[in-house]
Amino acid sequence: MDYIINGIIEALKLLVSFNRELYEIIFLSVFVSSTATLISSIIFIPLGLYLGIKNFKGKKLFSRLLYTLMSIPSVVVGLLVAILLSRRGPLGFLELLYTPTAMIIAQSLLVTPLSLGLSYNLSKNRGKKIERVGITLGARGVKIIFLLIRELKIDLFINLVTVFSRAISEVGAVMIVGGNIKNRTRVITTSIAMFNSMGNYSTAIALGLVLLAISFIINSLIYSYHQEDY
Amino acid sequence: MEIKIKNLKKYYNDKLVLKIEELHIEKRKITGIIGPNGAGKTTLLRIISGLDEDFSGRITYDNSTLNNNIYDNMTLVFQKPYLFRRSVYDNIAYPLKIRKKNKAEIDKRVSEMLNRLQIYNLKNEKAHLLSGGESQKVALARALIFKPKLVMLDEPTSNIDPESIKTIEKEIKNYNSNEKATIIIITHNLEQAKRLCDNTIYLENGRVNRINGFL
Ligand SMILES: Nc1ncnc2c1ncn2[C@@H]1O[C@H](COP(=O)(O)OP(=O)(O)O)[C@@H](O)[C@H]1O
Ligand SMILES: [Mg+2]
Repeated sequence: MDYIINGIIEALKLLVSFNRELYEIIFLSVFVSSTATLISSIIFIPLGLYLGIKNFKGKKLFSRLLYTLMSIPSVVVGLLVAILLSRRGPLGFLELLYTPTAMIIAQSLLVTPLSLGLSYNLSKNRGKKIERVGITLGARGVKIIFLLIRELKIDLFINLVTVFSRAISEVGAVMIVGGNIKNRTRVITTSIAMFNSMGNYSTAIALGLVLLAISFIINSLIYSYHQEDY
Repeated sequence: MEIKIKNLKKYYNDKLVLKIEELHIEKRKITGIIGPNGAGKTTLLRIISGLDEDFSGRITYDNSTLNNNIYDNMTLVFQKPYLFRRSVYDNIAYPLKIRKKNKAEIDKRVSEMLNRLQIYNLKNEKAHLLSGGESQKVALARALIFKPKLVMLDEPTSNIDPESIKTIEKEIKNYNSNEKATIIIITHNLEQAKRLCDNTIYLENGRVNRINGFL
């Protein structure tokens, strides 16, 4: 039992002493995952909203495919990106494997179906009604999409946070394309796995606490945002 | 805007809900549509407003078929209006904003409209939290603010207080004469139809049963 308590105490010490390596890992995690979230959201939230209100052939099949892709395992995405970026792969000349850029690419790909699927679903359920009102007031095309974004902004914000949470908590993709290289591609999840296997529990616990804190902050944000509007 | 309907047929999963051989709606007049529940009144307005394009037959607006210019000049207020999650002011300003009007003009027109419908005091309230009568007034204000030439109203005064009904009726009359607009109003209230309408259409089982003379 002692080593758990010691681990927690040591972890807190590392955190309050602003241990440099620890904070670099945290910073890279947040940077990679928020960039991936933004990249996937900018294109795929509007697209999801549009497809949700649009009637097209094969919409049912599209929904099913999308839901399948939403739960794609992160290691599969990691493997795919690693193959593409490996030296002999089609994008090997970019020399991106084992860089933060590769991690951003992998996470963007990983969360894109989620970004698309969540906004698609939202718009499929609630968008038609808003679109109809927009049309009766003279809005068309891109103005309808802007109207949807504004009307559904609370839910979209929650979706955004869900996407970020998925990104920052995954291990598989960043491990494979990043390689968990010291001072370069180490993020919270890959470090926890590594420190744990090295028996360095205090650092692993410290990072675990940070991950929990991030998710706590995010959820409080959602909550206060929700309150504000009602 | 004059509306001519010819051989209109509308089905909902094999069920014929509208069958109108010929119907003219006079320009600049207030036309009432009355009839029992399920007669097809709402369906008819949804078709005229262009929201439902799944029908057969021909509808012309001042002798042309539906195009963007007509879309820009007509509106429909739903029986249960959906107000945007923003202030009353921003709801009413929306049609002007998407038409790129400048701020001063928007401000002037929205304030006038708020006064006319006696909801100036609600200006900064969150629209989606208003009561039924208040919502109806805001929805009407939002629809009229861009001066559409054709206004369709689906039971705009059902389930609201007598004071609000008076205000709304007065505004419909005023708008019709000031803007020379064509208005179509669905109502269950025969007294209201008498008060407001130049023409009335009685719809039953998706068919036009009578025009005028029965009130
Ligand atoms: N979305 C729909 N799907 C199937 N049937 C519908 C739909 N909307 C309306 N109907 C049917 O069409 C008929 C006309 O409805 P509606 O136009 O709403 O009548 P009213 O407005 O006169 O009460 C009714 O029989 C109704 O059940
Ligand atoms: Mg109806």
